[in-house]
Amino acid sequence: MDKGFTPRITALLCQWCSYTGADLAGTSRLQYPTSIIAMKVMCSSRVDPVLLLKAYLSGSGGVLLAGCHPGDCHYEVGNYHTRRRFAILKAIFDTLGLESARLKLSWISASEGPKFAQVANEYTDEIKKMGENPSKKKMFL
Amino acid sequence: MGSKSKSVVVVGAGIAGIQASLDLAELGVEVHLIEDTPTIGGRMPQLDKTFPTNDCSMCILAPKMSECARHARITIHINSSLDAISGEPGDFRCTITERAKYVDPVKCVACGLCEEKCPVKVDDVFDTGLRKRKAISRYFLQSIPAEYTIDKDNCLFFTRGVCKMCEKVCPADAINYEDQDRQLELSAGAIILATGIDPFNPIGFGNFGYHRFANVVTSLEFERILSASGPLGGHVVRASDSKEPKSIAFIQCVGSRDESIGKNYCSSACCMFTIKQAIIAKEHMKDLEPTVFYMDIRAFGKDFDKYYEKAEKKYGVVFTRSKVADIDELPGGNLRLRYTEENGDIKYGEFDMVILAIGLEAREGNRVLSEELDIKLNEFDFYRSDAFGPLESTREGVFVCGAANGPKDIPESVVSASGAVASAAKYLKLERQDIASEDEGAAELDVTGDRPRVGVFVCHCGINIAGVVDVKNVAEYAATLSNVEHSEDVMYACSTDCLETIKKRIEEHGLNRVIVAACTPRTHEPLFRETIAEAGLNPYLCEMANIRDQCSWAHMEEPELATAKSRDLVEMTVAKARQLSSLERLPIDIDPRALVIGGGLSGMTAALSLAEAGHEVFLVEKEKDLGGNMRDIFFNFDKADPQAFLAETIARVEENENIRVFMAGRIDGITGYVGNFETTISGGGNGDAEKVKHGVVIVATGGEEHKTEEYLYGRSSRIVSLVEFEKMLKTGNFPAGRIRNVVIVQCVGSREEGRMYCSRVCCTKAVKNALELKKAKPGADVYFAYRDIRTYGFREKYYTELRDTGAVFLRYTPETKPVVNMVDETNPDSRLKVTAFDPILEKEVEITADLLVLSAAIDPPEGNVRLAKMLKVPLNSDGMFLEAHVKLRPVDFATDGIFVCGLAHSPKDMDESLAQAKAAASRALTFLNKKAILAEGTIARVREDRCSGCAYCESICAYAAIEVDPEKEVAVVNEALCKGCGACVASCRCGALDLLGFSNEQLFSAFDSLEMVITDGGAD
Amino acid sequence: MSSINLDMSAPDGIIALLKYLLSSGKVSAVLVPRRNPDTGAYDIGLIADEAGLDSAAPVDPVMLANTGQILSSLTPAKRSLAVVLKPCELRAFVERVKREQGSLENVLTISYTCGGVFPLEKVIEESFADVIPNYLKRVASGEIVDGTRDTCRACEHFVPMNADVTISIAADAGSIAGCRIYLNTDRARELVGGLEGKQSDDEIDPAVTLKLAAKRKVEKEKLFNSLAPTGDGLDGVIEVFGKCVGCHGCGRVCPICYCLLCDFESRSFDYDLPYFEKELSGKGALRLPPDTIFFHLGRMTHMSFSCVGCGLCSDVCPVGIPVASMFKKVGEHTAALFDYVAGRDVEEKLPVMVYKEEEFSELG
Repeated sequence: MDKGFTPRITALLCQWCSYTGADLAGTSRLQYPTSIIAMKVMCSSRVDPVLLLKAYLSGSGGVLLAGCHPGDCHYEVGNYHTRRRFAILKAIFDTLGLESARLKLSWISASEGPKFAQVANEYTDEIKKMGENPSKKKMFL
Repeated sequence: MGSKSKSVVVVGAGIAGIQASLDLAELGVEVHLIEDTPTIGGRMPQLDKTFPTNDCSMCILAPKMSECARHARITIHINSSLDAISGEPGDFRCTITERAKYVDPVKCVACGLCEEKCPVKVDDVFDTGLRKRKAISRYFLQSIPAEYTIDKDNCLFFTRGVCKMCEKVCPADAINYEDQDRQLELSAGAIILATGIDPFNPIGFGNFGYHRFANVVTSLEFERILSASGPLGGHVVRASDSKEPKSIAFIQCVGSRDESIGKNYCSSACCMFTIKQAIIAKEHMKDLEPTVFYMDIRAFGKDFDKYYEKAEKKYGVVFTRSKVADIDELPGGNLRLRYTEENGDIKYGEFDMVILAIGLEAREGNRVLSEELDIKLNEFDFYRSDAFGPLESTREGVFVCGAANGPKDIPESVVSASGAVASAAKYLKLERQDIASEDEGAAELDVTGDRPRVGVFVCHCGINIAGVVDVKNVAEYAATLSNVEHSEDVMYACSTDCLETIKKRIEEHGLNRVIVAACTPRTHEPLFRETIAEAGLNPYLCEMANIRDQCSWAHMEEPELATAKSRDLVEMTVAKARQLSSLERLPIDIDPRALVIGGGLSGMTAALSLAEAGHEVFLVEKEKDLGGNMRDIFFNFDKADPQAFLAETIARVEENENIRVFMAGRIDGITGYVGNFETTISGGGNGDAEKVKHGVVIVATGGEEHKTEEYLYGRSSRIVSLVEFEKMLKTGNFPAGRIRNVVIVQCVGSREEGRMYCSRVCCTKAVKNALELKKAKPGADVYFAYRDIRTYGFREKYYTELRDTGAVFLRYTPETKPVVNMVDETNPDSRLKVTAFDPILEKEVEITADLLVLSAAIDPPEGNVRLAKMLKVPLNSDGMFLEAHVKLRPVDFATDGIFVCGLAHSPKDMDESLAQAKAAASRALTFLNKKAILAEGTIARVREDRCSGCAYCESICAYAAIEVDPEKEVAVVNEALCKGCGACVASCRCGALDLLGFSNEQLFSAFDSLEMVITDGGAD
Repeated sequence: MSSINLDMSAPDGIIALLKYLLSSGKVSAVLVPRRNPDTGAYDIGLIADEAGLDSAAPVDPVMLANTGQILSSLTPAKRSLAVVLKPCELRAFVERVKREQGSLENVLTISYTCGGVFPLEKVIEESFADVIPNYLKRVASGEIVDGTRDTCRACEHFVPMNADVTISIAADAGSIAGCRIYLNTDRARELVGGLEGKQSDDEIDPAVTLKLAAKRKVEKEKLFNSLAPTGDGLDGVIEVFGKCVGCHGCGRVCPICYCLLCDFESRSFDYDLPYFEKELSGKGALRLPPDTIFFHLGRMTHMSFSCVGCGLCSDVCPVGIPVASMFKKVGEHTAALFDYVAGRDVEEKLPVMVYKEEEFSELG
């Protein structure tokens, strides 16, 4: 039987919007793959890009960082900083030819349960197509 | 007034009721919050987004709702109503009826099984009938309290005596068909009515075909359609054929500004509501063509005009000034509008969908309730209040806030709610509170340095979790993890007996970390933290793994994988828990005194509210007199004399022993933070600079009438500003000779380059003065040059009154401004020749004016910039102070302990300034009424030995809570101001910063614990 | 007056300028590279006495340490200090000032159009001194000199940005016999204006510098393309950085890396056995010491947009990783996101300290 390949997607969700949106997806019984596993942070701006980098190098199929929509930040402007930091990390990946698609930034509000489920589903599909994170196979990494 | 009470009854749990309850509770008052529906939240949860920031409505409301539910001093009574009051202000007795819910709220765990099995479908009120719900249901998914109730009128058991399905499936034995209505007697020092509004019902209204044509919906229904969590999942389609509309018509003033149906008032919020919906719809569907049919666009609030402009210029929303006559449905479902343009031309337009921007009307229940409570309504059935008592009802001790006494948008509702609290304070027994009471209970164990001993409790949540996840397997797996000393599965972790079990296990096994794998920490972590605190552990040593909302419910078809994920979630949480440490919430002493900057109406009102609550106030006024702009206001619609009110207010300030006025004062510097400010004030009589200490700051620096250079202002004695005109009316010193033709030009300086905002008060003020002119000079003809008439709310009827006098209204655009020439260039008293374009006649008209009145904009005072720098608070692009959140924190700054009110915030009328000043005072009292507050436990921490003093953190912090100490050259966190977002931590290159409770080590450990490759099936 | 011409070679002219500053008391000390005439060793001298300037080697193609980094500990200067720095060193210092690691107050910055420097392994060769006259000639004629650092050959920013004083050397044939001193700021005119020489209103001819810049740009493209010869992506990264021994020397000499202790040496990145077990699963083998590649990519997130391409990091790498070229390449991309140029303007905020409400709409 083809067991299929299930990539791990590690997610960091801000507690005011995206984590709440993820809860709402569950409350609404919207279904998405178990591959995604989330950790709550106060604000997306708490997440040092280095943490995302580390998750990538540890072989996470995808790394999702989600926060309130720009302008909606519970901490006024945190997500604007998140966005710049993420842009820098992505540019580094792109320049080095690393798969920046394994890093994803998403804005998910507290009422966007469906969006969370959609992001979880689509991102899992995308990562499935990409296959396993090469970091996980490199013996000299 | 007799004795003072320590409790208040708040009726209505919309945003106004919630805000009032939270403020009261923070003052130390016991609050009973009475709500008619089965949830708190009111209208806001139905909204998708809010204007003008497009904030997600639920995102901003949900934290307030849960705060309200959690607050120890707030008791929520859902399904309840206030039936009668007796007694005196300060000592009321309130009769409350709690209608039967038929579900025991203590037992119900909101698992939802009953709803799933219930065979009866009824229209869902919350989703405006666009979706069905069951006869047993939760009001909406995020409702608070999270309880189910039976809709008796539709339940098969109650209507036909059969079924009882819910009782059969309920795992918690919570169904109780025997439940009875209950009556409660509550005592209250004051009562706050926040009963809100009803949306206008357009069935049968006009010829718009609502409920006859499938594709005609109300704005509220459209809001649900737009909402991501709404019945269509945010996918906008029309009802007739489920196709995306390509064109949408918005029809304004449906049920507003309409004398024929007795609604000669403006609903105030619908213009902005429509603009928002047009923008959001456009964001959903890029090709959409939205058209708005309107009379006037009333974008009179702070930053509203910019939003309006954005809709037009950036989003391409078409605004058509016209009156829609009727709507026909065409074959295929499209709608044909017949409308009259401004010049009288009749036009037709075809649209895929029509949205009726329905007005806000008085609640149906107002009449009955007002009679029961012996309170008067106004002519439109809203609760009556007046300009100088905007929050008072006609019965002493009973206050009104939110839209109950007139249409309001969200921030105005919040302002009035906080304001009502300050007004109610007079009848309440307020004492400065200690924080000690929160620390009562077992002495805290010191676990520093101890090896982590983790206890894991895996919750079944009935079948919510256990129906999908193999809970026992998860608990067994947890037991194998290092540092886990104890692991067990429990039926309902949040049930009282299980909480006792947790405490017992802590003692039995010497646990120093507790993990509850159950539902979401957002709702339940506080409960478990409290529990372990009762067992002597620091509350921050508890963590939750969310294996329900983000696991069992989301993976119902994949039980094995869900079990595997639950194990991973528990393992990740254990990894984080190993790194947890006890966190302390440091007390910050609060100086009970206050500084109020600005001695106008707002500043004086705020100072009086604080002083009357027993606090010393330093009131700094830059001029030699108190009163500010109000000194130039002589008339008011409801006959109360502004000058008499002002004189009385000044006298009250001067007589109050708690208020010290610094006349001709100047702020030289402000240092410190919430509870501990120190300000240097110079002037104030003796001329020496003086330092004062205080706990809060209220900014009430007011505004100034713009000195225009347009329209030949200053060249002729016959050209006056609106303020000068009012003085002229008061004194009767009109220019010599005939005063026959009077031209009033609106928006002088407002709503154009450099001042892209509406000055809000000028339309009403000009209408008021035009009516005064008619009294003084009955023969005078008024020509009113305007862009949009913005007489919002009940001000509308004065506009109608002016129209009825025969005043000529000439609408102009920025391109067709009236042109003014002097009849005799050399004569400083020359009459004026005013040329204006009349869009109705479509030609220019020329008026020889005996008097030209210029309604000049309201400017922020220059000193704002300097003051903002000193306080480290922001100004918006117009130079007005920018509050923490334009919707829900309208008088707070992001920096704790600093508040804003009056014109310093944005242009507003006297009643609005009064309400906002009281709101600022009320918010300030939530600090001043405590001897100390507790800083957050989750705050940033600096490791000084690693800090290079680069100040990344300082530039990033939105709260001015971290600064590089110039002496030590390292960052220092101000624990009183830090909100714990962690933005600085992630910016710190040196790793010198960390966020307690979310430390780098915790986050890295948690991630490191994860298997990055998922073994399929999870069983092997 | 915006320039002073002296009838001597550019290096001599700079020394004359420094002597003037010291003798006239306009500055109390100067910071300038020197060469020990006895040992041939280079260093950076802090000199208060005119006589000390005899060993100054202001434009020798050597960079032992980034003067921008050194300047941090000398500022804020209590008394006036003149500093001779290469354009990249000045930019580095400006970047440090933005991070509160120094101050331009009381500092007279003297820089020159730079021909690049040689790697340290070349500098320590005995015959190095012989290389210099030929080097100066080739630089003056606008050539890119073989054997200089990779990032120098690829450097387009060889014209100093916002130096108080600029000396014309690169692509200026006249610099062999004459020294053109451009005074760019009020401070320069105040302190240097009294220097005797031929005054004029000349400015550096942009046509000449642009030509050299174009050549360097071609060189840069070549360099960037050569960086991962056999593999792009993770393989390429492993190919380039997989030799790293984890000494973190590159970070230590980096003028942008100002942290007292590098975060990557902190406890967050201390691992225990269970960690290694997890890492091994599904993989079977690991490279130790751990986190070597992580360190480089992580450092890029920290500072790449501020990289001035000075090349020191490559020089000190014991295993020959082209660290500087990699960081320069990545840095150009990260800085371009914000239209940012490291060291361009001290008033320009670091891109990670500010934001715009409307930007990066494609993210999220």
